[in-house]
Amino acid sequence: MTYSSSLALSQQHYASRHQNSVTFRAKERTIGPVSNTIILIVLACLLGLLYLTQVTKTNAYGYTINSLKEKQTQLQAQHDDLEVASARLQSLDRVQHSTVASSLTPVTPSGTVTD
Amino acid sequence: MDLSSDKRASTLPLTRIRIWYGILLLIVAVFGLRLFYLQVIRYGHYKTAALSDQLKQYEIPAARGTISAYDGGASVPIVLNQTLYTVYADPSYVKHPEKVAATLADVLGGSSADYRQKITRKGSRYVILAKKVSKAKKEQLLKHEYPGIGAQEQSYRVYPQGSLASQLLGFVNNDGKGVYGIEQALNSELSGRPGQLKAITDVHGVPLAASTNNVSTPAKSGDKVQLTIDLGMQKQMETILKSEYKKTRSQGLSAIIIDPYSGKVKAMANYPTYNPAKYEDVTNMKLYQNAAVSNAIEPGSTMKPLTTAAALDQHVVTPTTTFYDPAHWLVDGYNITDIEEDGGAREQSVSSILSLSLNTGATWLLMQMSGGGNKITMKGINAWHDYMVSHYLFGHDTGIEQGYESAGVVPANDASRPALALTYANTAFGQGVQVTALQMADALSSVINGGTYYKPTLVASTTDADGKVTTNKPKVVKQHVVGSKVGKQLEPLMENVVKTYLNEGFGYMRFPDRYMVGGKTGTAQVAQPGGGYYKNIYNGTYMGFVGGNKPQYVVVVFNIKPDVSGYAGSYGGQPVFADIAHMLIDNGYVAPKQ
Repeated sequence: MTYSSSLALSQQHYASRHQNSVTFRAKERTIGPVSNTIILIVLACLLGLLYLTQVTKTNAYGYTINSLKEKQTQLQAQHDDLEVASARLQSLDRVQHSTVASSLTPVTPSGTVTD
Repeated sequence: MDLSSDKRASTLPLTRIRIWYGILLLIVAVFGLRLFYLQVIRYGHYKTAALSDQLKQYEIPAARGTISAYDGGASVPIVLNQTLYTVYADPSYVKHPEKVAATLADVLGGSSADYRQKITRKGSRYVILAKKVSKAKKEQLLKHEYPGIGAQEQSYRVYPQGSLASQLLGFVNNDGKGVYGIEQALNSELSGRPGQLKAITDVHGVPLAASTNNVSTPAKSGDKVQLTIDLGMQKQMETILKSEYKKTRSQGLSAIIIDPYSGKVKAMANYPTYNPAKYEDVTNMKLYQNAAVSNAIEPGSTMKPLTTAAALDQHVVTPTTTFYDPAHWLVDGYNITDIEEDGGAREQSVSSILSLSLNTGATWLLMQMSGGGNKITMKGINAWHDYMVSHYLFGHDTGIEQGYESAGVVPANDASRPALALTYANTAFGQGVQVTALQMADALSSVINGGTYYKPTLVASTTDADGKVTTNKPKVVKQHVVGSKVGKQLEPLMENVVKTYLNEGFGYMRFPDRYMVGGKTGTAQVAQPGGGYYKNIYNGTYMGFVGGNKPQYVVVVFNIKPDVSGYAGSYGGQPVFADIAHMLIDNGYVAPKQ
């Protein structure tokens, strides 16, 4: 044990016993300029990567949106076609000339409308 | 050892390194400067160039509003939209034309030779092969992947009911603009608002969602329009017009059924007509017009009930007033006479003015408006002019939702005008004044409903893109057209006209007792372009009502130049009215008397 370490131990003992005192400061560790630069570059790269992943992800959503919109347009067109087909099937001309209508038997007026 | 040479040897690599280092710096500097030039100095230019490739701007078309009518209480679409395809060819890319033409004929129908001629046409890069092709056929064709053959989608108006109400509806032309009918009148409401997409896109034109400068404004669809038209009435009335057009060898028939208590038009049709889905095939442009609102003619004696109503409203006559009819009046040097069947000079009544259709009687009514006696004065002329223009609103558009409405013509009551008394005597029995069938229907409606002139309308409601429904409530244009009792006084007079015809052998004018039917015929002389009237050409008109306890519908018929043996009104207009009245009664559209 060196002198200085024994002194430090005795001081610690003294401090724990009397609870009054003295700060104990460990030796400060510092990062050199090269490390700083590397860390900054790495952080910048990470940020860039994060940005790129987010942009790519957002753009991927854009494709999904586009695909859904196309599907919506197709469904709308399909809906329009069905609506037209339904209206055509119910048209008065078609009903009038349908096989059901042509097979109806005319009856003598029942007298619903009377004088 | 030579120290100096050792020193040179040790400094030589350092010098080389410095030289290379310098060269490298120089290259980097050149790149840097070039980048500075491109990215800073030429920033604007390259940004514009890049955006022109990446930035795409699209207009998103708005879906045009659909149009529906009533079928009883249900709403039935009569104008819809459908996406169809135009198949085209770029002849410069087409290979194996024989094979392509055969496939085209097989899928689209038509002649293979015609298609071959089209797809081998020189000097053209765009040849339309077929229009309005269905999606199934388009896909069947494009699966062959023939170079130079393509399809372009386009939204079309489709009409499931065929030509029903075509002139009332109008159509949408190739520019996407509504023309004629309701399509023209409500074009802005039906069109909606196109949207816009401005975005940075990828190479395929797909917008990149990450771009913060994207602008996307969604399209707003056009309003959906619900018409007041009843499909059943409309269809049956059109069938009647078609039949009577042939029977009376007419040059054109128009008819209207209107609710006199709201101004709602229940049916409005003309014959001949056209199919709006094939409007390009129409050669006679007059067919596009809705003649019931655009064709103003001299109505003839159907004006007499309105002249009578004006005289009753002024209290210058009562329904039971009698007068001596000399069978002719000399006005401004011209004789106004009646037809021979009317029996010459004798005692007549206000009722017989209508039942016998006395021109002299209508002139006498004008004389009574003039202050009594046997003269037509400015007092009477001004009063009758006021009724025509300010009460019955002749000479004004009704404002119905139709394109190309005619206001008609009422002669000016200018005292300096030559033969003014004669002109106004003529207007009292429907000559020298031009009105549309709709104006006549509105005028009679306003008399028999107690004196309220409602704006005629074809629109029951509209629904916007957000689903908000706006109901079109009846709009009162004028109150006190005539006194509230005048309509009740006029009804039996017009019913008497129907009974008179029945007694004269017009069996089709027999209606069940539980219904009230009144009317008036009109045989109108037709003006010649150079002045005067044709000798043997007449228009047949009819104006009447059908109801139970009260008139429920007003019906007006204009039959243009029918070729009938007899009076055009009695044999050209009246049968059409009778058919329509029977149709309304027989189909339960009219509530019988309780």
